[in-house]
Amino acid sequence: MKRFMAALAFLAVASGASAQQPSDPLNELPAAVAEEQITVSSDYRGSYITVFGVNPDRRGRGDIVVVVRGPNESAVIMRKRNFYGLWINGDPVEFAQAPTFFAVLSNRPLRQIANAQSIWEHQLDPAASAQLASAVPDGADPSAYRRALVRLRYAQGLYQSYDGRIRPGERGGLTMYQGGLFRAVVRLPANAPIAQYSADTYLFRDGRLISSQRIPITISRVGIERRIHDLATNASWLYGIVTVLLALAAGWAAALIFRRT
Amino acid sequence: MIYLPIAEMPVNVLLVLLVSGGVGFVSGLVGVGGGFIMTPALIFLGVPAPVAVATGASQIAATSFSGIMTQTRRKNVDWRMGLLLSIGGIAGSAMGVWLFERLLRLGQLDLIISILYLFLLSGVGFLMLSETYSLWRGRTTSGVSILRRPARTVAHTLPFRIAFPRSGLYISVIPPLVLGFAIGALAAIMGIGGGFILIPAMIYLLRMPTHVVVGTSLFQVLIVSSLVVILQSAATQTVDLVLAALLMLGGVVGAQFGARIGAGLKNEHIRGLLGLLLIAASAKFLFDLVIPPEEPYVLGGGLW
Repeated sequence: MKRFMAALAFLAVASGASAQQPSDPLNELPAAVAEEQITVSSDYRGSYITVFGVNPDRRGRGDIVVVVRGPNESAVIMRKRNFYGLWINGDPVEFAQAPTFFAVLSNRPLRQIANAQSIWEHQLDPAASAQLASAVPDGADPSAYRRALVRLRYAQGLYQSYDGRIRPGERGGLTMYQGGLFRAVVRLPANAPIAQYSADTYLFRDGRLISSQRIPITISRVGIERRIHDLATNASWLYGIVTVLLALAAGWAAALIFRRT
Repeated sequence: MIYLPIAEMPVNVLLVLLVSGGVGFVSGLVGVGGGFIMTPALIFLGVPAPVAVATGASQIAATSFSGIMTQTRRKNVDWRMGLLLSIGGIAGSAMGVWLFERLLRLGQLDLIISILYLFLLSGVGFLMLSETYSLWRGRTTSGVSILRRPARTVAHTLPFRIAFPRSGLYISVIPPLVLGFAIGALAAIMGIGGGFILIPAMIYLLRMPTHVVVGTSLFQVLIVSSLVVILQSAATQTVDLVLAALLMLGGVVGAQFGARIGAGLKNEHIRGLLGLLLIAASAKFLFDLVIPPEEPYVLGGGLW
């Protein structure tokens, strides 16, 4: 009984402290990423990001949210317009910032974990990070453009969400184990940008953020992929000349080989 | 599977070799450059259109260089004419790359490429079909003789006339420059060599003798496509070296086999089939343009 009271007091202190200071080391959510370095070589076909962690609450109370984010970049959304029978791209709207990759995983639907305001505040929804930079055309709905951006990126596999419901045949998801251990697996498709990512783990209890932790993930090109890409971006004239020389060599070789046989 | 460093996507090596080899085979069989089949084929494989266009140019450079080696040996190149066409082509491709870059930034490049291919593929397809049809009806022996060569064209009346000894011509420099410019611009935007437009124009407009036409047009195509590769690399960074290498390998080998088999074969039927194929491909471009889109919004503005 004495021990129970002590634990209760400790928890009260800890949660009280965490209300002001979510990153209190006493209450920090221990987490790690299995792949802090992801390398892109010529056999790259996408990857997986695995985030492990332990809920510090011994009785496993609280909800876990894991978000893997790519860098924010500007984006443009256009709407197709009918122009004399042809559907052409028109009405561009620019976003100053939008996540290039965004995967959110939680042990149950996000809306049951936190209210809309804190989902927005902690940017647990890809739309929350998308900032409009330009005015929308007359009569257009700005939120329709925001929803379109999110929908299109979902279709490309660049935005993903997993809310605890089991989807057969999919490796991605958040699994809870005994003792508060959890594991989140995110499928990183091959079209995801090659950049600096981060994995954030959040512990919510009763709708409040108790603690969070950020782990950086580096995705980089290696070997020949890196050399080709560096040449193409840093010495683009030379890169073009090299490509032409390769073409001339291929044509010359073909003419020689096939003349003899 | 191999990861393309510029297109930033993995592709199946065998599939790309098979497609480029197939396109090369058909082009060798029928005697066309193949750029206008290769680029749409890459787009259908899922390669972003800007990368398909810019990278296709490097494969055209390779095939035209191997072709020109054979033609020079036979002394079938009018260097003076080729130089004029190339000067026009250099200006045209520079403008084409500039336009390409502008359209890419505006998010309209894919649309323009689709529309241009719609017209190009259906036009060439119908020409090939009608040629096959008239042969089948037994009216003429060749599509070329349907049109009569005019004795004098605009090339003979415009000023700045010079002599072209190899072609045996004394014509104005303006038509070759303008022609080269137009082909150069199309090459940059569409990823084609342009030989199938250039060759008829050289025969009917410039009245060049047929034996020098192929070699001279190859010379212009080589200069323009090489320049397009360099300018696209510098301006838009859409040339994928790995994809280019695969296309060259498949295209060059396929073309040699195609040419060998085509030499001992009546190719009217093949032309007819190719015509049908081109019309089918242009129908795909047309449908994508006129069918109301399920998703009215598109991502744009970046590279793709």
